[in-house]
Amino acid sequence: MKIELCSFSGFKIYPGHGKKIVKTDGRVFQFISSKAESSHMMKRNPRKINWTVLYRRKLKKGQSEEISKKRNRRTTKFRRAITGATLNDIMAKRNQKPEVRKAQREQAIRAAKEKAKAKDAQKKANKAASAKAAPKQKAAKQIHSKAPRVGGKR
Amino acid sequence: MNCLKLYQNVSSTYCRHISTTSCLEHLQKMSRVKVVDNSMIGRQSVIKGKRPRIIHVYTSKKPQVGLLGDRVLIAIMGEKKHAYIVGCVEKQKANVPRFDTNNVVLVEDTGIPTGTRVLVPIPSCLRGKEGDFTKILSIATKFV
Repeated sequence: MKIELCSFSGFKIYPGHGKKIVKTDGRVFQFISSKAESSHMMKRNPRKINWTVLYRRKLKKGQSEEISKKRNRRTTKFRRAITGATLNDIMAKRNQKPEVRKAQREQAIRAAKEKAKAKDAQKKANKAASAKAAPKQKAAKQIHSKAPRVGGKR
Repeated sequence: MNCLKLYQNVSSTYCRHISTTSCLEHLQKMSRVKVVDNSMIGRQSVIKGKRPRIIHVYTSKKPQVGLLGDRVLIAIMGEKKHAYIVGCVEKQKANVPRFDTNNVVLVEDTGIPTGTRVLVPIPSCLRGKEGDFTKILSIATKFV
């Protein structure tokens, strides 16, 4: 059997206790006692009534113990292998010395620059060839590609 | 009404002739009722303000009072229609919810509900009942 909560006080209603009321607009209310029911009918706000759960939650009564326990949780970093790089590979990349990394990076940059130069030269050649055929041409969009990050994933 | 004036030797208990028993809210003949499905007649009666009334309660018990789940004859928009009581204002047994309006679902003579959906929660204690109720429960949206 389902243990419901009192709509006013927030207490648990075990089967055989309390009252259930359906209002004209179809909203259903459960009350643990006539005290809760009368308070609701009087249109009291449960957030202002001291003995209700809503009041205690709003003013954070009696919750300091739970909060202090929760603070000690820490997420542990877990390193694992990925398809394409075994754990050793990842660790090797991680533990590379900064000089080595810098040298690798510069190498990569140089390679990329040479590639770009080659591409530009080709484009110019193409443009000169097709300039006679079609005078109007859309300017080629320059795509900025990031140099591959050397040193593995952070 | 001041009884003290007539009986001055009586001890100072204050007596007032007022009935303190609460209203019974029985569903009987001429009780006004609220149609809770989405049938055309039900909606028309709300718009025109001609609220349906019970004209007969199909029970064999002596005071013909309609309880939850009873079949009932209703006069609505000049017609006679059968209906089932789906919610009572009267105080119910434990575990049965009490409604703020006397709710009723219209039904044809054959037992098929007139509307296609019931908009208001229906007490789940009606689930055990056989016969025409299975059809009403199939068009219900919410249970209480």
